[in-house]
Amino acid sequence: MTITQTADTRQAPTAGTRFRLLLRKYYFAFALALFLALLITNLLVQRDFGWVQQVAVFAPLALAAMASTPAILAGRGGIDLSISPLMTFCSMVFATWLIPLGLGGWPSVPLILLLGAAVGLVNGLLTVLLRIPAVVVTLAMYFVLAGLSLRISPSTVGIGDNWVGEIDTGIAGFPGALVLILVPVIAWAVLSRTLFGRQLFAVGGNDATALSSGVGVRSVRIAAFAFGGAIAGLGSFALLSVVHVADPGQSTAYTLLAIASVALGGTTLLGGRGGLLGSLLGAGSIFLVQSLLTVLKVPAQWLGLFYGGVLLVAVVVGALISRSGRTTS
Amino acid sequence: MAELGEPPVVSVSNLAKSFGPTRAIVDATLQVLPGEVHAIVGENGSGKSTLVKILSGVHQPGAGSLEVAGSPVRFFPTPRAAQAAGIATVFQEVLTVDTRSVLDNIWIGLESVSNRVRAAEKRRRASAVLAELLEHPPALDDEVGDLSLSERQACSIARSLIREPKLLILDEATSALDFSTRSRLFGMVRRRAAEGASTILITHRMDEIDEIGDRITVMRSGSTVGTLALGEWNPGILVQMMTGAAEQAAREGREPVASADSPVVLEARELALRPGARPFGLSLRAGEVVGVAGLEGHGQDVFLKALAGLEPVAGEVERVDGSARQAVRSHRGASRLGIAYVPRERRAESIFEWMSIVENFAIATSSEDRRGPFLSERRSSTRFAEYLDLLKIKIGRGGDAITTLSGGNQQKVTIARWLASHPRILILNDPTRGIDVNAKRDLYTLLDVLAKEGLAVVMLSTEVDEHLELMDRVLVFREGELAAELSRAELTRERLVASFFGGQEAGSDPTGTATTGTTSTGTERQAS
Repeated sequence: MTITQTADTRQAPTAGTRFRLLLRKYYFAFALALFLALLITNLLVQRDFGWVQQVAVFAPLALAAMASTPAILAGRGGIDLSISPLMTFCSMVFATWLIPLGLGGWPSVPLILLLGAAVGLVNGLLTVLLRIPAVVVTLAMYFVLAGLSLRISPSTVGIGDNWVGEIDTGIAGFPGALVLILVPVIAWAVLSRTLFGRQLFAVGGNDATALSSGVGVRSVRIAAFAFGGAIAGLGSFALLSVVHVADPGQSTAYTLLAIASVALGGTTLLGGRGGLLGSLLGAGSIFLVQSLLTVLKVPAQWLGLFYGGVLLVAVVVGALISRSGRTTS
Repeated sequence: MAELGEPPVVSVSNLAKSFGPTRAIVDATLQVLPGEVHAIVGENGSGKSTLVKILSGVHQPGAGSLEVAGSPVRFFPTPRAAQAAGIATVFQEVLTVDTRSVLDNIWIGLESVSNRVRAAEKRRRASAVLAELLEHPPALDDEVGDLSLSERQACSIARSLIREPKLLILDEATSALDFSTRSRLFGMVRRRAAEGASTILITHRMDEIDEIGDRITVMRSGSTVGTLALGEWNPGILVQMMTGAAEQAAREGREPVASADSPVVLEARELALRPGARPFGLSLRAGEVVGVAGLEGHGQDVFLKALAGLEPVAGEVERVDGSARQAVRSHRGASRLGIAYVPRERRAESIFEWMSIVENFAIATSSEDRRGPFLSERRSSTRFAEYLDLLKIKIGRGGDAITTLSGGNQQKVTIARWLASHPRILILNDPTRGIDVNAKRDLYTLLDVLAKEGLAVVMLSTEVDEHLELMDRVLVFREGELAAELSRAELTRERLVASFFGGQEAGSDPTGTATTGTTSTGTERQAS
């Protein structure tokens, strides 16, 4: 940094304020702490943790959570409830049409990503241009996609001997699903340093300001939905790799857990603050809670209670740290 | 200073703009010369803000033409287009993204794919602008939500300045600034002027115009009525131009009902509407109609809400009933003590759009409609019928949705809702805003009837005419303080508007202004 700032004349913040500001900058701190604590506990309890397999099972939720994040960040009630059915729909398209057409190889990746982005785009266009609340638009899309998946095939479709089936076993000990998870993380890290990333945060934080500053508010918001859709497309591979079939009955499996992961990860549902990394850690925490309770043979009925409790604590922490430390002068 | 010979930076002529039936701008013409500081003044709703919003690409005009640097261009379709043409605007609302850093806030929207700026360069330029604007600039990485109001507004001003616009528009942007920042901003405006860049300044403060203005354009009821150069204006002339020909020599006012003998029903002591404001008091008598006036956002709203127990302020509000006194501490308490408050935003604050007309009426007094554990719709309707005549409410059936009524009738239903609680004090927050003339007249008649029955009314209005016609006295607010109190005898259009701007002490010179008023009426009539 070449600039010296004249901060010396301003009141030094108290320790509490400084801690809060630090937490706010690292919005995912709570999720990270929780994730690490759960991971360590899991490793202690489970001697044979089975990294590669665990990551593969975790990947669909991780991608669903990350895919849900951009629409929420864009603010003004933005949310995409159709992410989970979209992942299933993409996997159905892959198994039913792309493989028979001979497109089941690597070319399927851009095609599926495009399909996901296109559905996201439709969500974005309807929400932004017609000013229909995103909850309604994406809930409708949720049912449309779940219905389409069942229409394509009422029962599971196998993928045969396809490269996707090898993702979960891993390449030379490196879990393949980790690659799927890291792609959006890296894409996000790059994107948040670009113009689009900065504008996304501006629009989510205060769209009136963004508009008056000359930001194309509507296109940014639409793009956020499309970006989320593309990540959901990627998520379909994670889905396929776990069970080696496309299952139309799985449409709604991740919807609510994905939104919970986003909230747990420190992204505010009002928009403008948060990011994909937080959602990933939030999803990780949820996954590990699940895993831990299974190992400890806690009845499955308790799961919801645990999710709910953890989520509530996270949201309260989030509310406390985002309280403004504004001076009254 | 303006230079001769060069074409105006921006020139608009014969501009018109309507929002639905409301004509915000009727005919506006404005020329901004290179290197000048051009002030625009006018009353509330005279069209100043709409004019600059058109220049900033926020609104599209209905008619008119625009020239930039001498050549005709199309009106700007978006703020981005206006900025590309070298026009940057700071609005009255403090527009910042509170969750982002100071640096991000300053650079929002300025970068584009084709125009990348290196990070170090961004920091350097942002620091430079902030250092010139603020005595103690915040760190560039601070989150804007943590800054004071003045600092946040400084960030949005810095956002405009960093674009180095040919024309900077400050739309009441100085009201949120503290004194030192405002002085520094004016220093920057003068420096820019010396370098040939222009500024449009909209302000309600005459001292600011006197301090840096080169020329003034006056607006009245959506039209520009004239432009004055340095030395041609004084507060008297400006007020006269702002109020214009509308003063009627003989206006029909209400007959006052209350007298010095009428009992006091409400008393406020040592009220301070914002920290540090000069405190004031008020006693309200039965049958009195008191107006609350001032430019938008100068504390009138807070005052009304304080009376209604909605906004805690320093000082005390007491309901007086004979020798009994009870402090108003909450809104519930206020209602119990017979203080009714009709809010300003009809849609947001008072109407339940999904409910029927009768339900909307009965909502505040439902306990009267109880029949056993149930509410009787019929009893509500019977109670409502009493008010239909009094308020001249025109409805089809009471069970129809409230949204089937016109704005004026909706407002009447809201007022009926509160009258049904038999208040002794009625507080109205700009009740005639956006309702048609006939409904207004009905409302005036109603207030007169109510006052005769001994109800005390406190009414905020943004229309000068309403004050002239209705009020027994008018409280004028400026910068969160009671700036003037005009009795009925002192109430003239000029006096009232002048007191909005603090142009002269109210009560000091009643004859002088009145005379100029009449003269101006004469000349304008000859001219037209």
